[in-house]
Amino acid sequence: MTLGAAGLLLMAVGFVGGGAVAAVWPTDRGARAVTLAGAIAGCFGGLIAAVFSMATGRPAAAHLPQLVSSAGGIVLGLDRLGALFLALVSTTGLLAAIYGASYTKEYEGRHSLGMFGLMFNGFLLGMSLVTCAANVFTFLLAWELMAVTSYFLVMTESDSPETRQAGLWYAAMAHFALVLLLPMFLLMAPDPNATTFADLRLGARILPDVARDGVFLLALVAFGSKAGVVPLHVWLPRAHPEAPSHVSALMSGVMIKLGVYGLLRVLVDFLGAGPAWWGGLVLLAGSVSALAGVLYALTENDLKRLLAYSSVENVGVILLGIGAGLILQSYGLPALALVGFGAALLHTVNHACFKALLFLAAGSVVQQTHTRSMEQLGGLIKGMPYTSAVFLVGSAAAAALPPLNGFASEWMIFQALLSGAQTPQPGAAIGTPLAVGVLALTSGLAAACFVKAFGITFLAMPRSDRTTGATDGHWSARAVMIVLAGGCVVLGLSAPLAIGAMYRTIDAVSPIVGPVAAGVNARVWLAAPSGLARVSPVLLALLLTSIVVVVASTLRHRGLSLRYADTWGCGRIHQTSRMEYTSSAFAEPLRRIFSELYRPTQDLSISVHPESQYFVRSITYTSHIVPWFEKALYDPLTGAIKKLATWILRLQAGSVHLYLLYVSMALVAALVAAWWSQ
Amino acid sequence: MLLFSKIWKTGIATELLEPRDPAAVAVGRDIERAVQRLLGRALAIREVDAGSCNGCELEIAGLASPIYDMERFGMHFVASPRHADLLLVTGPVTRNMEIPLRRTYEATPAPKLVVAVGDCARTCGVFRGSYAIVGAVDDVIPVDVHVGGCPPEPTDILRGILAAVDRLPDKKASSTPDGTRTVSS
Repeated sequence: MTLGAAGLLLMAVGFVGGGAVAAVWPTDRGARAVTLAGAIAGCFGGLIAAVFSMATGRPAAAHLPQLVSSAGGIVLGLDRLGALFLALVSTTGLLAAIYGASYTKEYEGRHSLGMFGLMFNGFLLGMSLVTCAANVFTFLLAWELMAVTSYFLVMTESDSPETRQAGLWYAAMAHFALVLLLPMFLLMAPDPNATTFADLRLGARILPDVARDGVFLLALVAFGSKAGVVPLHVWLPRAHPEAPSHVSALMSGVMIKLGVYGLLRVLVDFLGAGPAWWGGLVLLAGSVSALAGVLYALTENDLKRLLAYSSVENVGVILLGIGAGLILQSYGLPALALVGFGAALLHTVNHACFKALLFLAAGSVVQQTHTRSMEQLGGLIKGMPYTSAVFLVGSAAAAALPPLNGFASEWMIFQALLSGAQTPQPGAAIGTPLAVGVLALTSGLAAACFVKAFGITFLAMPRSDRTTGATDGHWSARAVMIVLAGGCVVLGLSAPLAIGAMYRTIDAVSPIVGPVAAGVNARVWLAAPSGLARVSPVLLALLLTSIVVVVASTLRHRGLSLRYADTWGCGRIHQTSRMEYTSSAFAEPLRRIFSELYRPTQDLSISVHPESQYFVRSITYTSHIVPWFEKALYDPLTGAIKKLATWILRLQAGSVHLYLLYVSMALVAALVAAWWSQ
Repeated sequence: MLLFSKIWKTGIATELLEPRDPAAVAVGRDIERAVQRLLGRALAIREVDAGSCNGCELEIAGLASPIYDMERFGMHFVASPRHADLLLVTGPVTRNMEIPLRRTYEATPAPKLVVAVGDCARTCGVFRGSYAIVGAVDDVIPVDVHVGGCPPEPTDILRGILAAVDRLPDKKASSTPDGTRTVSS
């Protein structure tokens, strides 16, 4: 038994044991501790297996062919790509579990923590198994385990109607994906009994072109709906905010990344190079997701929903990288394609780090203030200095500011896209610069979005009394967030090394991509082999630090000193929080510019004194944006399904005679069929 | 197109500028030299109307007009006391403006130059004794220079600004690092 297999065993035992024991533990406090212990053991097991597999290059494998042998049994095999994602799941899972131990304290007595523990560990197990599944049955089983357990986790606070609504959307979309996955895998299988991934790899090579296109489209839709690609993203901004915050962190940070994993597994590993329109379609999906995600995030007043929309945006950015890779691969430029795939993978890791951080910090805010509405927050930096600081780091990373990690991967995606402009084909030469424009606009809007998220939530004066007495929370939660913030910095500074690791990961999986070109393995510089531009995060950080040091020492040298004073409010006698910038007001200019997308409805009602219209008693202003995608795509669909269901309901008329008729008809039909087949 | 044809047809529609007041230009040049020497940049002025009849404001607005054009001497009005080197205060201080005036003074970075413009700012003028008046500017915040006149001419205001700027080295020496002045004038 190798170390890798031992890690996989520890992972399974830890998650299953932790979940099962927590479910039957008599006290809530004990259940919380058992949940944590199981998650820690399982995540360590996963980390061992992942590190073993990445370090040795040998897959960590385990087989249980006896279990459901008709479907091929449980087959686990961890290659480099899977190991990278398993490491992501385990690390984020470990941190989220530690954070959750103190976060779930307030659920004691209100919700069943035993059940929560079971679902939490089951969720981690499902995600870990997805990354190391090596046949169709195991993959689908793990995929479904992940979907079902996360559904129950979303429904933790099921006493509110919004949560139930979110759960419904989530369950529907998750199973929509599952329904598409099954035919996708079976299309690739050379015969129905050969369903290991090795068989699929062989099967995909001999597929006719039409079937390959079908597999590609099914994979894009199925994995895209898990990843939250527009217009399949509708479940994401509903479900992520309703879940407990450490679960949101896992869902946004890791679970949607497994959609990216599936996409890479099928496109890069199984199918290999395809026609250029595959890349074009992925590029289009990525552009739409990135732009729509960030635009909806901008107008959002709910802190966690804002983060969820930002996840949609980042998945779009990841798809831009994958799309660039696919296009370059189809034109026979493997070294440049590697940059696209590697940058997408790096952004996947980076987004997991900063989005988990942001969700955990937002969770601390929600836990302290019991509201997610930014219009009621403000001034939290005084009571929650640690949370504010880590949220600032996460925001800067999400806004792709150097030298943090978000910058490094977006820079590399820019490089990949700009390389696309050098290809001789007009389609790629026109399409990729357009995607560059979209990515640039997205980055700028994301910066505005996180200025709003941080500024409105943490700065200025409190907008309601909910923020009174807010503190940083438990030390363990604080430690987890500081570790993640450190991760953002370290990943940013070591990006040239990290991107090299991503190249090797892709290179190990994909036989199409040739030898890694020279210049890719730079240790200091972030650059593409096309040699358009290069930047070094470490030097950039040194430059920024030295600028700060020089300015500070110059000011000190000139004898200028600090003065503490009230905010200048035009000499007003009373300054209240009503005079502050609100979240809606901050987004208003962009809401006007992009009114075609938002279609805002406005309602202004002013009530005046009965004696004179010049004495205004109250002004009420409400404004909503029309959720365009839901209206255009989902409303007709759900309407049609409802109509169909009502029609089918006629069969169930409630009359016993009718049901007896059905039974006898079924019997006759069965007999006829039996006679016929003889 | 309409715009261009109008420009073409109408021609230049301003009148010739009278020969300028040579005294104002001389004072302006003096200010420019002094400010350049002491600050090394333009002088930022914040105007505060503490309750004036707006006669003084007309004259101050005249400073920015083409006749006096004080920006050429390196002086400009700013929108916040946070950016200002010098406060130009007019009028007797009314009760409503007392606290805003104090706050403006507090918000101004040290060394805070204050020029009180007009007779009302010094003596409350015809408003003296009114129930709506707190007192002269001097009663509310420390004043460096008074400019007399009802209203004073722009050139007088420029002289007042020059006198205030000349006091800058003394004030810098007597102000403590936290911005509060130890010696009041």
